[in-house]
Amino acid sequence: MTKKARPSDLDGPTLAPLTARKSPSQDSWLGYLFILPGILGFLLFVAYPLVTSGYYALTEWNGATEPRFIGFENFRYLFQDDPSFWPSLKATGLFMVLSVPSGLLIGLLLAVLVNRNLPGIRMIRTVLYLPVVLPAVASLTLWKFIYNPDFGLANQMLGFLHLPTRLWLGDVNLALPSLVLIGLWGAGGSMVIFLAGLQAVPKELYEAATLDGANPTTTLLKITMPMMSPILFMQLITGMISALQAFSQAQILTRGGPNLSTNFLMYDIYVNAFENQQFGLATAQCWVLLLLIVALTVLVFRFSSTFVFAENEN
Amino acid sequence: MSQLTPTRPGQKSSQRSRTWTPAHVFSVVLLLLVCLTMLFPLFWMITTALKSNSAIYQIPPRLWPEEFHWENFINGFKAINFGKLFLNSSILAVLNVVGSVFSSMVIAYGLSRIRFPGRKVWFYIFIGSMMLPAIVTTVPLFKLFLSIGWYQTWWPLIVPAFLGNPFFIFLAYQYYFSIPLSIDEAARMDGANHWIIFTRIMVPLTRPVWIAMCVYAFQGSWNDYLNPLIYLPFSPEKWPLSVGMASFAGGFAGVAATRWNEFMATNLLYMLPSLVVFFVAQNHFMAGMGALSSRSSK
Repeated sequence: MTKKARPSDLDGPTLAPLTARKSPSQDSWLGYLFILPGILGFLLFVAYPLVTSGYYALTEWNGATEPRFIGFENFRYLFQDDPSFWPSLKATGLFMVLSVPSGLLIGLLLAVLVNRNLPGIRMIRTVLYLPVVLPAVASLTLWKFIYNPDFGLANQMLGFLHLPTRLWLGDVNLALPSLVLIGLWGAGGSMVIFLAGLQAVPKELYEAATLDGANPTTTLLKITMPMMSPILFMQLITGMISALQAFSQAQILTRGGPNLSTNFLMYDIYVNAFENQQFGLATAQCWVLLLLIVALTVLVFRFSSTFVFAENEN
Repeated sequence: MSQLTPTRPGQKSSQRSRTWTPAHVFSVVLLLLVCLTMLFPLFWMITTALKSNSAIYQIPPRLWPEEFHWENFINGFKAINFGKLFLNSSILAVLNVVGSVFSSMVIAYGLSRIRFPGRKVWFYIFIGSMMLPAIVTTVPLFKLFLSIGWYQTWWPLIVPAFLGNPFFIFLAYQYYFSIPLSIDEAARMDGANHWIIFTRIMVPLTRPVWIAMCVYAFQGSWNDYLNPLIYLPFSPEKWPLSVGMASFAGGFAGVAATRWNEFMATNLLYMLPSLVVFFVAQNHFMAGMGALSSRSSK
């Protein structure tokens, strides 16, 4: 987390009063006793695997024998010889580019629409949020049925409109957008967070703007968007990170196909590790994923200073 | 969901306007259309669950089944040993909820109410580990669990929950912070130790946040697919519903042609607990979301 870029972010207001707080006594050992499960969890499930994965990435290891050190051979293989690695980067990148902006846009639009006092609005919000609550496996298998080329709902609706039917998940050009569409079904997730943000915008700002004769477009651009930019930014980052880790769609619906068009990086890692027993190679891919996430996050943080409005900036 | 943020006096103004401008009518119509679109796949699922097998392949399709085939629920139930899988998922969910919520509450208490050197560092470490993609740790953990004989057992799906969840620690930490420290001090005057302050004062006071955490933990465990898939691939009798349903749909082991009506019937049963928890704890769920976005990203 780059603290400098966003002083108002999660660490700022929460920790500032901490130092100022008086405490009844110094209970060092007690404090450590309380956080002991967390320390154990961090050492066992974060620190240890992180360090060892750095080593495994440099080994050839099939899970049965001991890992054999081979230097950067895994990375060389990935970037030069691996037939599925570049397609996996392409599919992941394309999925991110297609799904994140569209998901944010629809979530924001829905939030603006439901941020009013209409009759039954709570019910409408609940319905829009409903798909998010469903277990991923349940909704993905439902969509598998909907996309079925022979009798699926998607093709039957096209038939009803006298349009040519599609192969959906079987079509090289359509499989990835079909998965993006499933993601948009869950746009209620970002809607709820945007809604919370919209409701936190001080109403006085709108009242003052209305008194000054501002029209709705102006208030949207000059008040709502600047006030929402930190949330938009957070959503952008979390959206990108989760898009980079798309897995279940590929595993349940497409098996990475057709012709590797939905071979997401996470799915490729899963196949390499747990189906092909190439654990060293898979770990190397994990590091590529990690570096991608770090690089993108830093990039967006840098870029954010131009558009994120921070109320209490220095 | 109106509890997302406390109502302030200034907010009244938005509730005054009930006049139906064309913009209002337009947005209501648009919202209803969006709602219908969102609900239609679920409606399709329910009617499919009640159709006969031949009716599924009927073209053009019928929106409403000609006759209701309730036996799809029974046949689907038997086809994948649903009761056993449901029990597995339930046990895992209960253990995950209890483990992660309790440990995170304790850890967050230590970080926010006890003063000791290094607590800031540990706070940042816990929060920072939220950023790490789980897959990076998956392969080494797989080897670790394999070497201690936990492969094909439930331990890898249970034990990590008891050692704190960074997101929950963050949520609880934020919430503890809104409670005045003078309460602790008064309790300590009366001779209470930290454990008593935690169990008798903090746990009751933080009810909203730990209920929200329970909901999240339940959803997380009930929905988890990758971990059971990795650790239990050859133990169908230990599968949770997520892996069982994916297998039933032919996604996992390429099981023979699916009877979609029976599948949708069991899929509905699989969804049901998630829906029930959501509707029962809806306000807490949304409050957690609200707290997350309004406190952390504002």
